[in-house]
Amino acid sequence: MNHALTNALHPAAVAAAANIDWTEKRYLIVDDFVGIRQLLRETLRNLGAKHFDQAASGGEAMTMLGKTHYDVVLCDFNLGDGKNGQQVLEECRIRNLLTPSSVFLMVSAEKSVESVMGAAEQQPDAYIIKPITEGVLLTRLNRVWQKKQIFRQIDQAFVEKDYLRAAKLCDEQIAVHKLHSIDLLRMKATLLLKAGEPDKARTVYEQVLDDREYNWARTGLAKIRMNNGDHEAARQMFQGVIAENRFYIDAYDQLATAYQLMGKLEESCDVLEKAAKLSPNSVVRQRRLGLAALKLSNIPLAERAFRKCIAIGEYSIMKTVDAYFGLARICGQKNDAKEALQVLAMAQREFTGELVQLRAKITEGLVYHESGDYRRARKTGDELEDMLNDDPERPDTPTCMELATLLFAVGVKDAPVELLCYVTRNNHDNMVLLDEVQGIFEKARMGEEGAELIKSARKEAADMMNKGVLLWKTGKLAEAVAWMRTAREALPNNMRILFNSAQILISYMQQHGYQRDLMDEANDVLMHVDHIAPGQQRFAQLIEQLALLMPRKDPPPMENVGVDEGGGE
Amino acid sequence: MEDQADDHEGAPELFLFLASTAHDMKNSISVLSGTLEGLLGGADDKDVNHPAYPQLAQMLYQTKRLNDNLIQLLALYKQVGKPEYPFDPRPQQISELVQQVASQAKVLLASKKITLQADFSQEMVWTFDEDLIIGMLTQAINNAVRYTHDTIRIVVAEKEGFLEIRVEDNGAGFPQAMIDAGVCAMSGNTAGVNFLTNSSGLGLYFASEVAKMHKYRQRNGSIHLENGGVLGGGAFVVRLP
Repeated sequence: MNHALTNALHPAAVAAAANIDWTEKRYLIVDDFVGIRQLLRETLRNLGAKHFDQAASGGEAMTMLGKTHYDVVLCDFNLGDGKNGQQVLEECRIRNLLTPSSVFLMVSAEKSVESVMGAAEQQPDAYIIKPITEGVLLTRLNRVWQKKQIFRQIDQAFVEKDYLRAAKLCDEQIAVHKLHSIDLLRMKATLLLKAGEPDKARTVYEQVLDDREYNWARTGLAKIRMNNGDHEAARQMFQGVIAENRFYIDAYDQLATAYQLMGKLEESCDVLEKAAKLSPNSVVRQRRLGLAALKLSNIPLAERAFRKCIAIGEYSIMKTVDAYFGLARICGQKNDAKEALQVLAMAQREFTGELVQLRAKITEGLVYHESGDYRRARKTGDELEDMLNDDPERPDTPTCMELATLLFAVGVKDAPVELLCYVTRNNHDNMVLLDEVQGIFEKARMGEEGAELIKSARKEAADMMNKGVLLWKTGKLAEAVAWMRTAREALPNNMRILFNSAQILISYMQQHGYQRDLMDEANDVLMHVDHIAPGQQRFAQLIEQLALLMPRKDPPPMENVGVDEGGGE
Repeated sequence: MEDQADDHEGAPELFLFLASTAHDMKNSISVLSGTLEGLLGGADDKDVNHPAYPQLAQMLYQTKRLNDNLIQLLALYKQVGKPEYPFDPRPQQISELVQQVASQAKVLLASKKITLQADFSQEMVWTFDEDLIIGMLTQAINNAVRYTHDTIRIVVAEKEGFLEIRVEDNGAGFPQAMIDAGVCAMSGNTAGVNFLTNSSGLGLYFASEVAKMHKYRQRNGSIHLENGGVLGGGAFVVRLP
């Protein structure tokens, strides 16, 4: 077949084939180099585009993106001072400035490492290398557009957390779109993992690897092994991926987790340090490195990581208050209480919310204590103790544990014991966390007493759970539903109680039919669990069962349901 | 591997400086070639007969060579072929590959009054690193501009389980020294006399590294130069598993 290039390869012909008109779209060009902006404007004009704006910096781009909806954003990765292209993208996605049909193209001067690092949480729709010519731009735009069509329903199901339906949609698309089969398989595996089907996800990864070695698939397999508790095998696989491709940062992050689970905190911290060297501009990674180093009392490393985290966070939507609290602790340990307090003041200026105020107060107390100002530490501790007595609400688990640590340190006893028992009841089967709780007791020279307290708190939670299971098993569903409400009130953040609550509500509706209020109750419970512990296997399974109960013409098939039993002592 | 990881640690500032300078140079060359393409592409019949027109075309040709060389130097500096290089093979539509390569070369070829032919199957899909292969083929076409009479032809076909891409021309063919340089580049024999003295040496070396990175089921990609083909001139041939 011989093609006359003038026809077959003419942009218009390609555009017609893709069935989309790019001329009426609204474009934003972001580049700090005026010559490049002019060039891109010419290129777009040659493609027939009529509406385009330009920005010379990341900040300017954000202002424009906040005011106007753009269909296509052409953004250079390297934007000089201020936000870089990746940070513009992250902020757009988090602030919902891009619609699902918008196209974000990341432009770079050379083959981009970011494109294959597997590190960036927010990926652009495509990367494109300079010099940009009309043909290449049009091909990439059409390709993104086609991919968006193929993934549209899948993405929609993903957003609705209907992962199994989304995975089925992947299969349908794989059958007809050979070109996108790898992307679809990758998505399918991710969805199966989210839906709590790791065995099926493993099959997908193995199928992909059977044809060709892909870092993401090998890493995916290793993650599944890690979640199954096979930490050593996972560690070897992650290291294998890194040996193949030193830039595949995701493997480093996972390797650090594997070491952490094996209790090898120093190795874990070393890996994070290497990853942060290769890809230093991730707020999330610097935060993790800082926290790991702080735990190991590696003061210089923790300080560097927290300072870097704050610096890159300045232009990033991902910025985190954890870095400020971490840095304050470091300053305190260096006996520089003055800077610590400045950092805490900064944290309270930059971030708002009650939890931030509370954590700032706790950190302040820890800083006083660690820098030897026991009088002020005691005063802060007393204030916090009063607050706990006045308000029965308890903060999240990590805050409870820090608060208990401080209160023990300043000599309070009852309040921290109560906090740690609360933490234990709400996490009665999380052995890693309970070991940390035990550690706090030991530091307060209450090792034996602590072990007893943990034991009885665990039993309390297990008893509550078991009573619900018994009612459910003996067919007293209405009573089971009522009991689980009581249990939830007592243990508002116990994952297994929450899951069982939802399961029993579902069982009730499966026997007595759909009820709007119970449906809402089950949904609220599940959303709460997904908030405190995102991405659990049971979450997806229960959401799936809940969806089957929605009223419709044909009756839903009865599923074999099971309530998670026992646990604890 | 450990040693390479620490390569830039001795002089991180120098590395950053070099990286930002390279970024700057890429921008300047992009603007230069874009402006020239704009001028040449917008020329009417009268402009084409202006004595400056062929000189402008030659400027574009040289700018493209400069760009190719800069990309190759950067890529080699970043160690193409080593685990350090961000290699990203994906299934690609051959028609899109040809379309993108043709669009990169369009203005240059038109200004040099060279016709580009393409012979490929519309539905064909193959797995490769698109940006690297586009770079290699664009450069092969820029090279063929020097050797051809008035036609360049891209042929893509499956052959013995490999994807074979040929960039052929209707010139007098490559001199034997060039063909030998291709063999040297593939064998990694950088001591070959003609390899380092030949101005195409860097390009051939780069192309052979890119081809070799493509591996599938124990088979590697390769490149070579030959004379003959449909047009009877020189041919740059890349085979990908």
